[in-house]
Amino acid sequence: MTDASRGQNWSRRGALGGIAAATTLSGCRPLRRRADNTLVAGLTYDLDTLNVYSTGFLGDVQAAVVEGLLAPDAHARYVPVLATSVPSIANGGIVIDPDGTGMTITYALRRGVRWHDGAPFTAADVAFTWRAVRNPAFLAESKDGAEEIVAIETPDPFTVVCRYAKVTPTFAATLFTFGILPKHLLEGVNLNNAPYNERPIGTGPFIVTRFRRGQYVLTERNPHYWRRDAAGRQLPYIDRLIFKIIPNSNTLLTQLRSGELDLVTQTPYDQAKQMNGLAGVDLVRSPLLSWQHLDFNFRNPLLRDPAIRRAIAHALDRSAMVKVNGGFQTPAWSVVVPIFDFHDPHALRYPYDPVRARAILDAAGYVPGPDGVRARAGARLSFRVVTQAGKADDELTQQIILAQLKAIGIEAFADNKMGIAYRQARYKGDFDMTYSSWVTGVDPVYSRFFATHGSNNGQAYSNPAMDRILAQMESTLDPVERKRAAFEMQHLLAVDLPTIPLTNAVAVVSKNSRLQGFTPNPTNMTPYVSCAGWRLNA
Amino acid sequence: MSAGALLRRLLGVIPLLIGISLILFAVIHLAPGGPLDVYADNPSVTPEALARIARAYGLDRPLTVQYALWLKAMLIGDWGYSIRTGRPVLTEITERIGPTLELAAVAASVALLMAMALGVVAAARDGRRIDRVIELVTLGGLSIPVFWLGLVLQYLFSVKLGWLPSAGLETIGGSSFGDRLAHLVMPAAVLAFATGAAWTRYLRAGMIDALRQDYVRTAYAKGLSRPAVLLRHGLRNAIVPAISIIALDLASLISGAVITEAVFAWPGIGSLFVESLDGRDYPVLMGVLLAGSAAVILANLLADLVQGLLDPRLRDG
Repeated sequence: MTDASRGQNWSRRGALGGIAAATTLSGCRPLRRRADNTLVAGLTYDLDTLNVYSTGFLGDVQAAVVEGLLAPDAHARYVPVLATSVPSIANGGIVIDPDGTGMTITYALRRGVRWHDGAPFTAADVAFTWRAVRNPAFLAESKDGAEEIVAIETPDPFTVVCRYAKVTPTFAATLFTFGILPKHLLEGVNLNNAPYNERPIGTGPFIVTRFRRGQYVLTERNPHYWRRDAAGRQLPYIDRLIFKIIPNSNTLLTQLRSGELDLVTQTPYDQAKQMNGLAGVDLVRSPLLSWQHLDFNFRNPLLRDPAIRRAIAHALDRSAMVKVNGGFQTPAWSVVVPIFDFHDPHALRYPYDPVRARAILDAAGYVPGPDGVRARAGARLSFRVVTQAGKADDELTQQIILAQLKAIGIEAFADNKMGIAYRQARYKGDFDMTYSSWVTGVDPVYSRFFATHGSNNGQAYSNPAMDRILAQMESTLDPVERKRAAFEMQHLLAVDLPTIPLTNAVAVVSKNSRLQGFTPNPTNMTPYVSCAGWRLNA
Repeated sequence: MSAGALLRRLLGVIPLLIGISLILFAVIHLAPGGPLDVYADNPSVTPEALARIARAYGLDRPLTVQYALWLKAMLIGDWGYSIRTGRPVLTEITERIGPTLELAAVAASVALLMAMALGVVAAARDGRRIDRVIELVTLGGLSIPVFWLGLVLQYLFSVKLGWLPSAGLETIGGSSFGDRLAHLVMPAAVLAFATGAAWTRYLRAGMIDALRQDYVRTAYAKGLSRPAVLLRHGLRNAIVPAISIIALDLASLISGAVITEAVFAWPGIGSLFVESLDGRDYPVLMGVLLAGSAAVILANLLADLVQGLLDPRLRDG
């Protein structure tokens, strides 16, 4: 035997030995089948804070720990949680002032609910939450809903009366739905750096027992949780819910394949197809309250010409955009996501028809020049299309839009920006067209986007009729009236075309087949809001 | 190096670090994006709300003022607060440095063993088949992307064989020494392979150089055995020039295990850096980068010291 072959022999034996040792050291714990009643969920982002009012992310963990008075269900409709019913005019929970300007909302609270530390949950906690979020010293990500309330009274421990200065149909979308803060623990505490942000105390089905930054959040079943199933059995069914932080999506899906993870609520589109048909893994498609769209800047005189906007609307083929995004999105024809009652399925549509698009431009006098780009009286149809740089899906879709515009003789080029530069361009109108998406809660405030002074209207779109419709929609609680206004809004948007809705996004949930009772949730409350009813089959 | 010289070098580090911090600050802030980007698609966060948050963190002030305030705080030991989490930067860093040191120490030890074994064998068998095999292996270590090797190992050992956990520091709730070691195997192996390949090449070259020297011939003539000559005269002389490179690599193992940590969800300083970069968390980024720079400078200093100990000719005043 030569030295060299002896060396090779040794290293082979050594490698095998090392692997065997490692297997023994891992405690022979079978990775594939966990017998205990623990659900391990993967998060693709590192958690910044567990305070639901401060986080820049969706409150996945928080939804399992902290409860609000109401919550949106799988159909984006509100259901009562810590309140006993959803206030409405019909049930007397909402009373409009006689002069029609303000309103009073009364919540009846559930009795017998306890915080994770055993203290009773009362109306004082609700009033405290309002005061804490409104406090200017608290750097909340969003204070929506707090400013609209002018006073709160708590006539008894289980009644909360909120006075609003104006009629606010979107009252449920934010404040008390996000979550209630425990007064007995947080009164007088600086919420910007309170220990609560690491270890939130709620009334929810799971209790945070350990938070290791960059690694995981461990939560245990709340043994005193108030909710029971139809058979009277106390919820939740699962003993432990672990959130593992794995920012690398390849690793995330490897963990799902190896059985180390049971649930990934947002599977990247490009990897979802690989997961399809994998033994022991189910794919669930869940609609999201988001829509992708192409917006026009009305500061550009050419884009103020309705003929050009109409031609562009006919030039865009949504099926190609759906295809490049893995086939998971769905074509959108309205800014109102189809899951809402306010969605008008018969809103005016501009079907894909490049021949018609060219005819519209011909009729308007825009004729192709020697370079193939149309022009009228020296004004060339050449536009800057902005999207957020670095978002691969958006940049891909943008390329399709550019090609489709070129096909009808419109020159368009990408002018992508990152970060602050992108946001400034979008808010301040430094673009000709912009391709982007909006993600909303259950009650989108459309005036933000389409009212003359809307905070997110960077397009300088202004139509007094639209302002009127939006004001009407956002100052009445009458569902019939609101729906009528919503339909009018959709019709006017289709006529004015400040924006062209293109696709609706879908969340692809990958889950272990053992997990039963899982319900997707399209809202920013995430599917974890219903985790109390999930169970793991043996 | 005398105590005085050492002190002079240590004091020289301070202006150097201030200069580095100025460059880092400029580069980080010139890059597009900002800490409030996380709100970009969220329509309920209004421009007014963003302005309020920016004001609270001083992000609305001129860059020169931001830098001056940062430097002033830094000089009195105040590293500031993370914009993402609101926690002290020092806490963020100390929490994450442990796992990185653990990973780097194991990877460096394995890499050093690998380099010494393979480097000596390759040099002793210069040009033979085993030398060419080792060359191929080290070429693989240098050219195979870390993330790709990581994914292959994960697929093999976690998905197919189910032997090793694919990511993380420990099994949540059930951690033991063996469990932690099992989690360490793959990331350490990947990191060690890439680092060890480079070191093997340095050592092989150094060894070949040393084995051609007269004193080696003399050692053989004195009747010393081949292993004794290789280790005592060859390796000892070959390792001196390699030390400075290895020392610098040690620092980069600590500050640069970014990809390995990302692939294996290893909660170290590398993943903290990536998260902070994603979120443009300026205070944490500055803290991590500055600590990384300090590590490189100190490693350099250490390399000089060790070289001096090993080779008396390099000792000065």
